[in-house]
Amino acid sequence: MPRPLILSLDGREFPVQIQKIDRDKLYGKVDIEAFDEKGNSAQLFVLAPDGKTLIDRGGTALATVDEDGNSVSRADLIAVDEEGEKIDTVTSSFNQVNVLKRAKEEDYLSQLVKSVYLIDPVEGADKKYLQDHVSAGLIFNFDFSYRGGLEYDNAYILGNKSDTFMVVGKPAELEFVKLNQSVDLDTTEEEDVSADEISFDDLR
Amino acid sequence: MPINISNAKRRDAVVAMEGLYARRQVQYLDSHRRPVRTRKLLKTDVTHDLPELMKKRKTPAALANALIKEDPEIDIEEFGMFLADTSRVYVTKKGIVHLIEEQEIVYNPDGTVREKRPRKKDPQNINTDVPLKWTGKFIKKQEAIQKFVFTNKKQLVHVNGLTFDFLYDMAKTLQKKDSLLLIRGGEKGDQPVIMNRGGKAYNAFLEGRVKGDSYCLILHLSNMELKRPKEVESNGKE
Repeated sequence: MPRPLILSLDGREFPVQIQKIDRDKLYGKVDIEAFDEKGNSAQLFVLAPDGKTLIDRGGTALATVDEDGNSVSRADLIAVDEEGEKIDTVTSSFNQVNVLKRAKEEDYLSQLVKSVYLIDPVEGADKKYLQDHVSAGLIFNFDFSYRGGLEYDNAYILGNKSDTFMVVGKPAELEFVKLNQSVDLDTTEEEDVSADEISFDDLR
Repeated sequence: MPINISNAKRRDAVVAMEGLYARRQVQYLDSHRRPVRTRKLLKTDVTHDLPELMKKRKTPAALANALIKEDPEIDIEEFGMFLADTSRVYVTKKGIVHLIEEQEIVYNPDGTVREKRPRKKDPQNINTDVPLKWTGKFIKKQEAIQKFVFTNKKQLVHVNGLTFDFLYDMAKTLQKKDSLLLIRGGEKGDQPVIMNRGGKAYNAFLEGRVKGDSYCLILHLSNMELKRPKEVESNGKE
């Protein structure tokens, strides 16, 4: 059984399992097959700048290099923050109790989403107290790192009537832009719409 | 990137749409505290892949011997070269082809094939003669957050004084309503938003924020709902 993630809300602890979900799991996926004009199967490759070297999947790698273009071993790299100060590593969120804090809708909407997880209680536990809160529209957050590393991501805990989810990401660099003055305009043809009326199945 | 969008009065304007990025907080230095960077390099090419190497040798054992003695999988001259300006090409047994037909295979979430069809590459609809439509359909932020995953975001920015007023007003209206506005494309305003030809289709929602005489207009793009996959429901939920 995978290690549980322990969430804490109002002093209550919820050992949960997380499962990554994505569009493919909800709606399926689309693969592309290609053929030449005679019906022969064609495969997609990367063509190197020399115009002749063909590269298949796995044929490229990323390397860290110094100013002179020499390869630098990962073990020799020093991670620093914007001020040039060395960064201490963070521990995996699975190794600690993660205390949930109330979050604002605005902060959640400012987030660039990296991953979405479904949250279920581990066997024998329940998450009713947490579920009741997220069902009511409350959002919580905590610092999250799957394996530990140099920095945390933001994890937001939210949900609908029946399920709880964890949405992981980083805040976007939003900018308030200004110039001149504002003008009031009337809105027309306003209509309240239910989210259920918007189709997601046909987005291909 | 320009975007042609209309407001509640059905006036339209071309404004700028910018990508949003997370602030990079971690930087790496080498042991002399000099900055480093990441480069893509060539690890191997198709002429050194297993199928090609096997063509010249009858058995896996013969290839294994060759790998030990001759290193036929390595091209000392080429491998390790930095790659930039690469392109993607289709290749058949006869070489690179330029004229191809593409077919889509649509799979259900359980992996079964639902449909096979010729690939249709819909054109982008964010900057055409037909502006993206202010549908007048508002969704409360809380409801939208509980229903959709916003997988991508863009920020709309004015390009002159006139469009500043245009966008500022949109932001102000949206902030006042505490709602996201559904944005649609196409003549009838019934199509999802497509950023580039053949690209992903998104349901798009506009959010506005105002702070004094400045504004922030965010286009939230979503191609999935926040819900439990059916497969997980049957396996994991009582």
